[in-house]
Amino acid sequence: MRDVVVVGGGLLGWSAAAALRRKLPALRVTVVPLPPPADALAERIGSSLPSIIEFHRDLGMSDGDALLRANCSFRLGTEYDGWAVDRPSYVHAYDRYGQGIGTASFHIHWLRQARRGTAAPFDAFSPAAQLARARRFILPDEDPASPFAHYEYGLALDPVRYPQMMRAYALHLGAIERPAVLKGINLRGEDGFVESLALDDGAMLSADLFVDCTGPRALLRNALDSAFEDWSVWLPCDRLLFADTAPAADPSPLDHCIAHGAGWRWVAQSASRTSQGFAYASAEISDDKAARTLRGHAGADPQAAVAIRQGRRPEPWLRNCVALGDAATMVEPLEWTNLHLAHSAIDRLVAMMPDRDCAPVELWDYNRQCAAESDRARDFLALHYATSARSEPLWRHMRDTTPPPSLKHTLDLFRERGRLPFYEEETFGRDSWLAVLLGQGVIPAHIDPLIDVVPPAESERAMATMRDHIARQVPALPSQAQFLANIQRQAAR
Amino acid sequence: MLARRIVIVGGGTAGWMTAAALAKLLPGRCDVHLVESEAIGIVGVGEATLPHIRAFNERLGIDEADFMASTRATFKLGIEFVNWGRIGDSYIHPFGTFGPGGGEVDFHQFWLRLKQQGIAVPDLDRFSMACTMGRMNRFALPSRDSRRLDSTFGYAYQFDATLYGPYLRTIAENMGTRRTEGRIVTVHRDGETGDVTSVQLESGERIEGDLFIDCSGFISLLLDKTLGEPFEDWSKWLLNDRATAMPCRTAGAVTPYTGVIAMPYGWRWRIPLQHRTGNGYVYSSQFLSDEDAATALIEAVEGEPIAEPRVLRFKAGRRARSWVRNCVGVGLASGFLEPLESTSIYLIQAAITALLELFPEKHISPVDRDEFNRLIDLEYDRIRDFLILHYHATERADTPYWDYCRTMEIPDSLAEKMELFRRRGRVVKYREGVFLDASWVAVYLGQRVIPAGHDLRADAPSPESLVAGMQKLATDIVSLSGAMEDHGAYLRRYCPMKDAA
Repeated sequence: MRDVVVVGGGLLGWSAAAALRRKLPALRVTVVPLPPPADALAERIGSSLPSIIEFHRDLGMSDGDALLRANCSFRLGTEYDGWAVDRPSYVHAYDRYGQGIGTASFHIHWLRQARRGTAAPFDAFSPAAQLARARRFILPDEDPASPFAHYEYGLALDPVRYPQMMRAYALHLGAIERPAVLKGINLRGEDGFVESLALDDGAMLSADLFVDCTGPRALLRNALDSAFEDWSVWLPCDRLLFADTAPAADPSPLDHCIAHGAGWRWVAQSASRTSQGFAYASAEISDDKAARTLRGHAGADPQAAVAIRQGRRPEPWLRNCVALGDAATMVEPLEWTNLHLAHSAIDRLVAMMPDRDCAPVELWDYNRQCAAESDRARDFLALHYATSARSEPLWRHMRDTTPPPSLKHTLDLFRERGRLPFYEEETFGRDSWLAVLLGQGVIPAHIDPLIDVVPPAESERAMATMRDHIARQVPALPSQAQFLANIQRQAAR
Repeated sequence: MLARRIVIVGGGTAGWMTAAALAKLLPGRCDVHLVESEAIGIVGVGEATLPHIRAFNERLGIDEADFMASTRATFKLGIEFVNWGRIGDSYIHPFGTFGPGGGEVDFHQFWLRLKQQGIAVPDLDRFSMACTMGRMNRFALPSRDSRRLDSTFGYAYQFDATLYGPYLRTIAENMGTRRTEGRIVTVHRDGETGDVTSVQLESGERIEGDLFIDCSGFISLLLDKTLGEPFEDWSKWLLNDRATAMPCRTAGAVTPYTGVIAMPYGWRWRIPLQHRTGNGYVYSSQFLSDEDAATALIEAVEGEPIAEPRVLRFKAGRRARSWVRNCVGVGLASGFLEPLESTSIYLIQAAITALLELFPEKHISPVDRDEFNRLIDLEYDRIRDFLILHYHATERADTPYWDYCRTMEIPDSLAEKMELFRRRGRVVKYREGVFLDASWVAVYLGQRVIPAGHDLRADAPSPESLVAGMQKLATDIVSLSGAMEDHGAYLRRYCPMKDAA
């Protein structure tokens, strides 16, 4: 493998180019920087999961680079409002919820106390959730004994400056930029591999491997086949509206997702903007009415509605063409998995880089891992719909729909006695599943017998201590604006 | 809440491991009653174990030195495979990593890259703490500091399985387990539901229960004889259906590893304990008679025999389901895989762990039962592929037995794994499963499955820096191992065996 061409000039194309050059410096990497389309969600959704931190570190970038050079800010989680009925909002933070007591895990204790009616909300036991609710932020404590030591955080990206930084970095690492308009794709007769790209200046750009970062249209990959597994039966939203407004002076590290009769709305504050949006099912609400709804909340006119089709390609990598990001998997931005799935695919591409023959057995393993990861991300998103008690027709219908088999397996096991099965390539850990399941009021029928060795009064005491620890320390911690100002002061010195 | 009545059918390793775990970890939740017959005797397989057993013992609050003294145990750092790829070959499958561990790119990729460039590098096992300690006959407990090189190995035990059961029996009985001696003559079932309601002994006594654990061994009294659960036969891939076992006096050093020596029609184990060495020949009756197997074993062993060879019969495979109605099979009653990779006790432990997690309340939930069966199937299936690899990845053509193994059709799941490794040394990664990357790498390379390429990320460092780094690593491993105590001396100091009762 010598020559790789990446098509797509948004943050994804440049991130792929940077990773390839950094990890596999023997490769020649050429980027054709086509502007990303409006429906490429990995490009547009600014909220990223904690995996972005590791992705940056692998590239040799620090948090400081992202913050200072690309105007990012921090995010600790998401608050879900109106998803559960007759229950308070809940926070999904990237954190440990409580600590195990004796041999049983924390949530079993919580469930036992909840049955007795004495448990505080589940997110009261997550330090990061409480920090986020108070709109405060610190980096995780290095002392493992501190309650504030075990969470992870994501970044809120600046939609303009972040791709610029990634482009500059990829070029610095030796990626070659080849501005052009794509005119056609030439396939090799004997095996159907992509031979070259026809460019508008008459040139033919050939390579051993073509990386498609062109969004859902998948300009390259669709030239080979367009097989698609549709998920709309479990994920009903097929339209998105976006309305960006000016940034808040002290941006909250907590994003906000509010359920609506026809879908859900989000508010995500960051240093660069306040991103607001509305994901909805077009069968339930007209585009005009949806736009009015979002305008009413955002106080700004939304841009034109974007149509999305949720699902994934069975084989993101076929022959010598691999689709990344929305070209491979398309899901609504709920839980902000779009960029995460794209980053994960980049890591996998680098780790599994085959020879020029792109042997089917090697691609098979790549596709298997991508499929396993996407399917579990889908399950986690579908979980929000499948377990909501809202009464509008859309929500009733979602509750009555049989979930995908792996989600059904998860729900069946959890509803029995609060157990969660293990799946390969899981994006969200146990605590994330618990935060949503318990936040939405999914309560198991039985309590795990392993808890019997700890008397309830002991659970009660331990849980009260955990909450006190968190509640006592939160008010003394800085707001996001204060924290960012500190970092800038230190950098200026 | 009423305690559930648990009836364990059969003592032995599986029965007493289950009894001790239930009694200790679910106190007050269940009332455990074990029925065994001394007349039936136990198979006592699995004298060699995997590192997972340490977690099991820890959960039961077992003191390691006391346990080792009582079961006359030795430490085990891995398994030496002799004559597998070719006659004369030897490699160790270590418990631990190759190289310092961690890092984004597996160590063996850098090693492959140098070899493919034509640069001379030492054998891969020189970069494993466990292999090196084993070859040098040294032992120390691993460091808990993951940055240190001497934290990169794990260990298990080689012990007298006929003593492990009684050791656990004491724990179980102290925690309130009842034991009844007697042979079961009838199993009673509910006419409507088909559930097992009680077992009746020769004496006429009936023992009733809510949940029955079938630890009856190959007889599979409940799963097979009573409920007729079908058996999935894997003998077209795993031909061996007999073993002849014969303990000997130990001649030579007590090695901190198990020996597994390929034979013309199967393989031979060599398991050093404190007081003797266990030996046995696992073979296929299609190719070898019991008499010839016994003769071959007697000729091959190093020390003086202390018993006559004893023959065991089995078939590789597992029951379609391990948990059927209100009966859970643990150990041989649910399936059998030959002890080539010491998985017998591991499979018992896996079943117990799953049972604890899915332990039923008043009624057995089909969801929990299906999940139990899913977890157990996963364990069996992954071990099966790993075992088949040992037979298939060979150049041996000296007997029709090896000709068959070398040329047989293998499961697709294994064929894909082997092809991936052949291309660029990649091991299919699963986060769950008993054998991790280093195990697969050890067997592939040890049995001459040699990759054509390597992970391109391994090309980043200069060859000079890699060679220097590897030289230092091999030197560090030898000096760390050399500073450790002799295995035999460690045992005499740490856990000398108690006198025979």
